[in-house]
Amino acid sequence: MTPISRGFRGRRADVDPGRLPPGQYLTPDFPVLSAGPTPRTDPATWTLTIDGAVDEPRRWSWEEFLALPSETFTVDIHCVTKWSKLDTTWTGVSLDTLLEGVETEADYVVAWCDGDYTTNLPLEDITGGRAWVAHTYDGEPLEAEHGGPARLLVPHLYFWKSAKWVRRLTLTPDDEPGFWESVGYHNYGDPWREQRYWSD
Amino acid sequence: MARAAVLERLRPRGPLVWRTATIAAVKEETPRARTLSLTVPGWPGHRAGQHVDLRLTAEDGYQAQRSYSISSAPEAGSVDVTVELVDDGEVSPYLVEEAHPGDELEVRGPIGGHFSWSVDDGGPVLLVAGGSGLAPLMSMLRHRAARASRTDARLLVSTRSPGDALYRSELEELGPRPGLLVAWTFTREPPPGWLGFAGRVDAEMLAAVGPGPEAAPRCFVCGPTPFVEHVANLLVDAGHDPHLIHAERFGPTGG
Amino acid sequence: MTDVHTDGNGVAGLLAEVLATEPTVLRRTCQSCGDVQPLGAHRAYHGAGVVLRCPSCGDVAVRIGVHAHRLTVEWRGTLLLEVERAEDATGA
Repeated sequence: MTPISRGFRGRRADVDPGRLPPGQYLTPDFPVLSAGPTPRTDPATWTLTIDGAVDEPRRWSWEEFLALPSETFTVDIHCVTKWSKLDTTWTGVSLDTLLEGVETEADYVVAWCDGDYTTNLPLEDITGGRAWVAHTYDGEPLEAEHGGPARLLVPHLYFWKSAKWVRRLTLTPDDEPGFWESVGYHNYGDPWREQRYWSD
Repeated sequence: MARAAVLERLRPRGPLVWRTATIAAVKEETPRARTLSLTVPGWPGHRAGQHVDLRLTAEDGYQAQRSYSISSAPEAGSVDVTVELVDDGEVSPYLVEEAHPGDELEVRGPIGGHFSWSVDDGGPVLLVAGGSGLAPLMSMLRHRAARASRTDARLLVSTRSPGDALYRSELEELGPRPGLLVAWTFTREPPPGWLGFAGRVDAEMLAAVGPGPEAAPRCFVCGPTPFVEHVANLLVDAGHDPHLIHAERFGPTGG
Repeated sequence: MTDVHTDGNGVAGLLAEVLATEPTVLRRTCQSCGDVQPLGAHRAYHGAGVVLRCPSCGDVAVRIGVHAHRLTVEWRGTLLLEVERAEDATGA
């Protein structure tokens, strides 16, 4: 029988429970989680590439990327470690813009990042206005510890899928488990169905 | 002797299970830090430098877990943890400002072998603490005192101000005993009339506190990660064998 | 700005759930740089789960998936495991 620590509440903020997926708690902070040291990538050498099972790879330099049409949007984010943060505002380039005109038969994508992190997603989950490569958070350039210069943002899935320091999106015919997926985290990761672990 | 010391560090002291602990007493160490003395039924004993995982459960089942170094000596008979208040922390505000004797929490431990020391391991030892990183090193010095050991031990503590200095009066009492040297450096505000070190730990301070690398001291460095990395680099640069440097990093802020 | 990491000492409780022995003193030979270091000296990064990295070269040493009822652990490099046996264990 787990003892209750009298009076302990933690730092949870009150929230309309309908806003939170099952098992999540609202945090006032923006916790920094990482699989390794923060990469420091110079925008002068930064490129973003789309390759793999495509007719023709695409590549943008930092200037070219920033010249693409951006959107500013507000979303909720949910981390598999149980914290959620509501109404976060980002600016970034939609994956629909980046994939415009790309011909592919692939159903999946692997995101490759500085620091050697990877994650996998179905292609349809990063299209249709559901994903961006974000360069600005809360009106300021995205800090390195939060994924700057640019990170993938896929808010409808657990936040480990919103890969920090993204540099390349490789379209693949098969689903290829990424860094966390290959040590037991769910391949898809829908927070509303609480898909944290691979057998959930 | 070295082999026995390694085996001693290897042995888990009983199964590593969560045990219900009761707060037996609290002691205000500084305005922002407090020591909780815990009664833990079935406690298997510990080595100086080890820590416990501490877990709190709220009425709705929400749980939070943190690691805290055991500050009491193995000979003391109670499991003491010193908790420093972290602004906007999740666990420390509860432990420092709310919890009182009779309250229950859970502990798992003792944990750690790499960052532990016994008088039987021999010396000399060089202990360097940043803020609340002093807690496990205090366990080592209390253990050394309990065993009436004269092993060459040097302690350098980096702290913001006298108001933040943990265990200061006890260390002042322990300090003059044979074989022990205690030094402080104040990074923000030294005591009035202070003639000792001030500012961030640097190579000169470490050389002055010693011993030097030729004595092959076992070094224990504990505190916030940036502090530990800084001091460990200084020790290596000074020629200390990296294999003799044991570090315990508390994370970015220390707790 | 220093990275947000701790070390193997802080994840020892977790690893002790997996190993029948105290984990921080176990020596690991890195698959990338060949250096030998105790797990307690490895850098620990906290993401969805925990990553331990070689303190010499930074390459991944251990990956731990931390789930509600299960731990998934991947070990890289060579770990020399030493476990103290019970009093009544049968001799070799």
